[in-house]
Amino acid sequence: MNTTFSGSHALILGGTCEIALTLAEYMIQTSLFPILTYRDEKGLLSITRTLQPFKGKYASYYLNFGDRESLESLFSATYDHLDFLVDFAQGHYESYVASADEESVYRYFMENISFRAEVLKRAGRAMLKKRKGRLIFISSSAAERPNPGQGFYAAAKQASEALYRAMALEMGERGVTAVILRLGYIDAGRGRVYLNGQGRDIVEKLPIKRAITREEVAETILFLLSDGAAAINATEILMDGGLTSGK
Amino acid sequence: MIRMIHEQHGGNMDVLAEIKSILAGLLDLEDREMTPETYLVQELGAESIDLLELAVTINSRLKINVRDDEIFLTRFRLYLTEAKEQGKDTIPYVAGKYPFLTEDRIAEIIKHIHAGPQLKIKDLISYVTYQLRRA
Repeated sequence: MNTTFSGSHALILGGTCEIALTLAEYMIQTSLFPILTYRDEKGLLSITRTLQPFKGKYASYYLNFGDRESLESLFSATYDHLDFLVDFAQGHYESYVASADEESVYRYFMENISFRAEVLKRAGRAMLKKRKGRLIFISSSAAERPNPGQGFYAAAKQASEALYRAMALEMGERGVTAVILRLGYIDAGRGRVYLNGQGRDIVEKLPIKRAITREEVAETILFLLSDGAAAINATEILMDGGLTSGK
Repeated sequence: MIRMIHEQHGGNMDVLAEIKSILAGLLDLEDREMTPETYLVQELGAESIDLLELAVTINSRLKINVRDDEIFLTRFRLYLTEAKEQGKDTIPYVAGKYPFLTEDRIAEIIKHIHAGPQLKIKDLISYVTYQLRRA
């Protein structure tokens, strides 16, 4: 199979997580040009260290969800050559609904939903100008089936999914499409911390009897960005090893 | 008569010609006659997605900040309701929301609003000219 891409520049939001960095490496090897965002010096260091062998074949920009100046600056630099967007960005807020701090809740939804809508508006307009673009929102199986305490996370994920779906419905006829990838237990980042804390029991519940690797996720995203996947639009794909299909 | 030539960066820009050119390209209307009085929706058949693309193209080609709600008079009916609810004179109230429109034009839109979307090419010209002056 010959995988082709309609475009070259891919903006990766939340570009400092392990999966994003793996994806960036795969993109570079596929001749795509990843543009990764970071929100602090530690994140920038992760990008620089991981992608050190690929100097000049990627770019990185500061973007902090909630900081509109950083958004303005990012899109001033990338507006004219944006072909793809992969959105890993997600703040973490865990609390029971009945015990949540009100200010934290307002801020969390502003950063993770309202701000994302502004990101999407800008990305959508940049892509509409070229009548071409592909967006992938990295969601979670917890959007549909959250554990207790994940209500705000799930609400933010579902609202963000709705924004991406709406965009895909509205702009599909002009060549801008979007798909949502819901991930289950991944052996990377916060997923690995959770899995390590739960022991082997949690993995045994998965029909595939193992956690999903970040390489598998990166390859799937790359396929979803390719021309061959263009008709997968305005929908969610669940990549959880079969966990939520059975009892 | 709307002044359609605007000086920008030391040169002249024919705003009507620019907008006609953009619309012809977006809506595939190469041979269609367009004047400032042409309706975008009723005559040219522009749909919501066309208006979005029009805003993006005007922003890109004419280098002005475009607010879709303003240029396309999206909230016009809402402002009429607001003025009524607040007991304010309708035309000055709407003029405050759309400073690029003359009061005569606002009165004209109100007069014909029952007949469908009133957006005309001359409204786009007014918006673009206003934004160019502010730039």
